[in-house]
Amino acid sequence: MSRKHLKMAAVLAVGALALSACTSKNESSSVGSTPASGGEAVTVAFVPKLQGIPYFEAMNAGGQKAAEELGIEWLYQGPTTADAAAQSEIVRAFIQQKVDVLVVAPNDPDSMAPLLQEAQDAGIRVATSDTDAPNSVRELFVNQTTPENHGRALAESLTGAMGGAGEFAIVSCSETASNLNSYIEEINKVMAADFPGITLVDTVYAGEDQAKAASMATDLMNAHPDLTGIVGLCSAAAPGVAQAVRDAGRIGEVFTVGGGTPTAMAPYLLDGSSSASVLWDVENLGYLTAWAGSELAADTAFESAFDVNSDITGVTYDAATKIMLLGDPLVFTKDNVEQFDY
Amino acid sequence: MTTTTIPVKADLTSKVKGRILPPLVTGQEYVLIGIIVALWALLGVFTPAFLTAGSVVPLLVAVAPVALVGVGMTFVIITAGIDVSVGAATMVAAVVVAKAMVALGLPLIPAVLLAMAIGGVLGLINGVLIAYGRIHPIIITFGTANLFMYLGLQIFGSSTVNNIPSTFAIFGRGEEGRTLGIPHSFLITLIVLGAAWWFLRHRPSGRHLLAIGGNENAARLAGVKVKQLLVSAYTLTGLLIGLGACFTLGMGTSTLDQGVGVGRELAVIAAVVIGGTSVLGGRGSVLGTLLGAILVQTVTSGVTQLGWPSQLSDLFVGLAIILAVGTDIIRERARKKTS
Repeated sequence: MSRKHLKMAAVLAVGALALSACTSKNESSSVGSTPASGGEAVTVAFVPKLQGIPYFEAMNAGGQKAAEELGIEWLYQGPTTADAAAQSEIVRAFIQQKVDVLVVAPNDPDSMAPLLQEAQDAGIRVATSDTDAPNSVRELFVNQTTPENHGRALAESLTGAMGGAGEFAIVSCSETASNLNSYIEEINKVMAADFPGITLVDTVYAGEDQAKAASMATDLMNAHPDLTGIVGLCSAAAPGVAQAVRDAGRIGEVFTVGGGTPTAMAPYLLDGSSSASVLWDVENLGYLTAWAGSELAADTAFESAFDVNSDITGVTYDAATKIMLLGDPLVFTKDNVEQFDY
Repeated sequence: MTTTTIPVKADLTSKVKGRILPPLVTGQEYVLIGIIVALWALLGVFTPAFLTAGSVVPLLVAVAPVALVGVGMTFVIITAGIDVSVGAATMVAAVVVAKAMVALGLPLIPAVLLAMAIGGVLGLINGVLIAYGRIHPIIITFGTANLFMYLGLQIFGSSTVNNIPSTFAIFGRGEEGRTLGIPHSFLITLIVLGAAWWFLRHRPSGRHLLAIGGNENAARLAGVKVKQLLVSAYTLTGLLIGLGACFTLGMGTSTLDQGVGVGRELAVIAAVVIGGTSVLGGRGSVLGTLLGAILVQTVTSGVTQLGWPSQLSDLFVGLAIILAVGTDIIRERARKKTS
């Protein structure tokens, strides 16, 4: 009997270990806790979709820089997989900590909405950044780009590389990512309106998996022998589709553009398997997020157009939608890609 | 009297031999071969380039790491075990080797050996915990999966590994990845598979693995070294995970992110189960696993090449798994009834 109990206890212990490890997160980092005006420093907590990928780490770097310059406390913690449930846990923890401002880049905007309500009820100012939760109580969305701007930059880069005519396909990541889907819609709109010689033949979804994106791009090239353009829409697909073109030995015949980070895209931009990578200044987005958070805590009204500092200029704010826009997209090419280190 | 017993004895042994050894190719494998041939023929007709080298080679390259790890997983599932830590172990092996190649410029052979050593150690940990802990393998490997994941993420250190040298392009889908048109990674997989097939069929230890899955206690009482064999099966899976991680790096980009290996365990288990290996243990074949992996990749590529919505491949693979497990369980019940 006692042996049986022992065995059961062991199973439970291992199970509990497994479960707790499942939701484990990286330790939160916090910097810059200089008291601002006598009282405690304002705490701005940012919960990315996923911690540990260069994109959000670059945002964190920008946020940390802002925290040092503005004398606020910046907390950064996200799930290790882009998982809505794990992200909710972290948001709950920040609500319990009673941070002053909570900024989220939700994996699932709809399931995040009630949590943001909960945060607001607890007296926390809530905002979103990078990805919006439109049907929530968020008081501000710090937007990096508009689908119009981003889709147009991608469409124009691709059309330029393809020489103004031909067939292209899109490799996206998550099928439910609203920002990616709005880019797809916008690319199609721009192509239809301005580049009638360009036709979209297929749109596929590879998840956040580089190797799968490469396999799918290979399949697309086989399925459409006249294909001359591929868009790798997200940071996993962008290097994946370029690698597929390189492996097929079709650099110069098939052109790719995408939304990859500069360090990941540099080798592909330099060998021509990728023609351009369209993104925004991610560090500046992090900086703007932290800055806007501290303004929110201080109840300052945003102007409709302003400069944050000499680096971040031309920011706009729409009071009706409560959306703050960082500015124009940044296009990385072989000429400028080596100036960025994220 | 003695003159009559000798031929009878000879007769008996030959009969017993025939009964112990399953047919070279089993019924489920014929079905899988039939489905794959039919699908390839249909795809050859309905897509412009499915049956060209430019399509078949990348397909086989994508099959290689799944089928390779599938060999180890077949051994594990045959013992009525399972290993759900494959994806996390792949991540650890891949990130360590990628970092070593970037930092030290590790050449091909040492890099492969390093990857296999890491995979082997992680597999050994699983094997020892399962054989001596006497806790169900799914709990153990679920636990270690999370530990390995933690380890891998710590090694990643919140950033990607960039500018990985193209050492493993020899396992990739590009020009360097094949000789006489045959992809190296698939060729290596075939060799490993052949050895495993022979081992499982003709070596006593191979038969013992099946016996453990059939009835572990009976096997132990019959003198089978259950613990040693279990440890070996999980360690072998680990070694193959290491080699498979090299294949994955070879078909990946020059940047490695923490998405590497995610879901690999499910792809491998799907291949094994579709291949006809019984999830109840005691029965299975590595040839079936290869066919299962080819079928899954054919469906994935086929859906893309036909221009169908991507999520349909999940639907088809899901149906194939349910169908395969369903047939297995029905067969098992029928067997119990007749015996």
